Amino acid sequence: MTSRDVLAYAIGSVIGYRARTLLTLLAMGIGVASVVMLTALGEGARNYVTGEFQSLGTHLLIVLPGRSETTGGPPPLLGETPRDLTLDDALAVARSRAVRRIAPIAIGSAGVSYREREREVMIVGSTSAFLEVRHLRISSGRFLPEGDPRRMSPVCVLGAKLKHELFGSASAIGRWVRIGDRRFRVIGVLASEGRSIGVDIQDIVIIPVAAAQALFDSFSLFRVLVEARSDEAIPRATNDIRRIIRQRHEGEDDVTVISQDAVVATFDKIFTALTLTVAGIASISLVVAGILIMNVMLVAVSQRTSEVGLLKALGASSAAILRVFLAEATILSLVGATAGVVVGYVVIEFVDQAYPLLPLSAPLWAVACAVAVALVTGVLFGVLPARRAARLDPVAALAGR
Amino acid sequence: MRIVDLSRLAVGAVTAHRSRSFLTALGIAVGIAAVVLLTSIGEGVHRFVLQEFSQFGTNIIAVTPGKTETFGISGAQISNVRPLSLDDSAALGRLEQVVAVMPVVQGNAEVESKGRTRRTMILGVGSELPRVWSMDVSAGRFLPPDDQRAPRAFVVLGAKVRSELFGNRNPLGQRLGVGGRRFRVIGVMEAKGQFLGFDLDDAVYVPAGKALELFDRESLMEIDLVYRAGASADSVRTGIERLLRARHGSDDFTVTTQQQMLDVLGSVLGVLTFAVAALGGISLFVGGVGILTIMTIAVRERRSEIGLLRALGARRGQVLRLFLLESLLLSAIGGLVGLALGLGLALTIKFLVPSLPVHPSLEYAALAELLALVIGLTAGVLPARHAAKLQPLDALRAE
Repeated sequence: MTSRDVLAYAIGSVIGYRARTLLTLLAMGIGVASVVMLTALGEGARNYVTGEFQSLGTHLLIVLPGRSETTGGPPPLLGETPRDLTLDDALAVARSRAVRRIAPIAIGSAGVSYREREREVMIVGSTSAFLEVRHLRISSGRFLPEGDPRRMSPVCVLGAKLKHELFGSASAIGRWVRIGDRRFRVIGVLASEGRSIGVDIQDIVIIPVAAAQALFDSFSLFRVLVEARSDEAIPRATNDIRRIIRQRHEGEDDVTVISQDAVVATFDKIFTALTLTVAGIASISLVVAGILIMNVMLVAVSQRTSEVGLLKALGASSAAILRVFLAEATILSLVGATAGVVVGYVVIEFVDQAYPLLPLSAPLWAVACAVAVALVTGVLFGVLPARRAARLDPVAALAGR
Repeated sequence: MRIVDLSRLAVGAVTAHRSRSFLTALGIAVGIAAVVLLTSIGEGVHRFVLQEFSQFGTNIIAVTPGKTETFGISGAQISNVRPLSLDDSAALGRLEQVVAVMPVVQGNAEVESKGRTRRTMILGVGSELPRVWSMDVSAGRFLPPDDQRAPRAFVVLGAKVRSELFGNRNPLGQRLGVGGRRFRVIGVMEAKGQFLGFDLDDAVYVPAGKALELFDRESLMEIDLVYRAGASADSVRTGIERLLRARHGSDDFTVTTQQQMLDVLGSVLGVLTFAVAALGGISLFVGGVGILTIMTIAVRERRSEIGLLRALGARRGQVLRLFLLESLLLSAIGGLVGLALGLGLALTIKFLVPSLPVHPSLEYAALAELLALVIGLTAGVLPARHAAKLQPLDALRAE
């Protein structure tokens, strides 16, 4: 039998038993489609989160007060230390040549009121550099003015949601709001598309850092965001920050420096592991589909016993019979897998249209893996029935025994 | 046909094609095993997390400054214009159903003893900590109930700090520098381990008043209180809210009961377990398609048998029942095997990796078995109806 004959024969029998073939394809298709869709979901989530982090700024280093002895443990999040990380520390760090700009951050919470409306929100004290370091945008007015960060001008920039809550659709620019027991003039409103992890950037007020320190009567900064000049400058910037702070803090090494990239890498790892797990769980269904293919092939062999006998009597070798049945199993799994990939992609496209916020994309490796696993299980589970067919004794088989 | 005959016929059909029935049941078994194993892990994680949270007791209420209802760090815990003070804490302690109250301030500083230093977590707390957080001292005693406005400079060490700074020496009575101030060690806590990533052993406990001085702040970060067992959390909560509103003049605090926290966590983890079960369910579904396929083949193969049965007077309903029973039998066997397989795997994992929380949930197992039966029934309906609709004459003529 030439390989063309083998193929033609296998295709003929696949088409011949329509119901059975369709059901087997359905089983394989479900498995492959679910793997494709789930990995797409995992990848989408991963891209979303890492994208979110990257939109927080590039070449970013975060300096927080306090340090834990155990490396790898969580950093001291609530930065309270006996020796404050001060505005002067931050300004000293800014003089390093590896550092492009810095944004000191002091945060706290206070009621913000305009006329009779009051809302308690997070107050962020920072400088004019905050806008660029954090990649935020202004929708109207302007951001905090440049100049000496130690000056406490009574101006503020509102988040979009807070502006809406306090002013509705009226213009807020130029109005005076009360924050805690002080009055601030609104000079700008943040654009509403600014997203950020952890903090709802829509519902905050940004005021000059010195004003925040006065408002909360505390000289300690919560964080200092440091933007390095380039990717290569990040290690140098880290060393500079440590050195400068140690000099200023009488030799005590009491800050933690985290690079944004390290955080992104961690999240990347977590999400990749998650995607792999989910894909692994889903591919159990591929094994189940493989078992079904084996079952169907076994049935086929027992049904076509006399046919096999005839082929053998006509001179077909055992190897040729083996190939015929293997070809049939391969066709079943291949067509099923292809159908699954197509369905998976259609669903992904559909979901993508419905929820543009979460960009879904099936990674190529996952699709390739799913198809490969489908093929391998199909062929592997096809071997046993095919061997059974190949071993049939022609005389007994022809007699239908 | 009697039930006995019906069952005998169905069982006969299943056992006649041994390898075929085995593979069909295996498909379902793999699916069920996946569901059982995955839900065991999900349930195990669920229990583990809830246990982590309730190890501090369940009658706890936390009061934090600021009116924001998010988990994670709120700005108000760091700085705020209306502080939560030590006096607030003391006042809360005088509430009717409150049995213990404790202020909390947290920070990071260097501790030093005889030239050995370590940067560690500083917890400013009250004398009631052993009761509120269900922790105990392993040596010495805990902080005494001093007046929080002028407490004595005593410190209690976490187990890890003790071994790092003092090794095998007795730390009791020794001097310890905390952020440049001098404290005297009066106790060592027993090892407690990690709690959500925070190592409670790598910490020192000082009076909250001293911690506020050390960090130069006015406001506490949290007040934890324990109410009398049996009292309703809601009534205690209203009491707290009324008192603080009267003291502060406004709603500038957040009250979180342990139960709320557990409920939220529980529902999140429940959803997670369900999602994982659904993932395993895909395999179960594929197994169902397998039953459908095999039953379709079986009906086609046994046309003459069906014709004979019908010619002998079997009614359509009986033929229908026969094939339904057969597919039900396949899925039930598969389900039972899968159950055994899944539970076996779960127990093996539990044995091999004791740190991984695995807890086989009987509920989910029963549900999975039920699901297998339903799948078998549904998958059997179509082929069985097909068989029942066959005309006896046509069917007999099939061969």
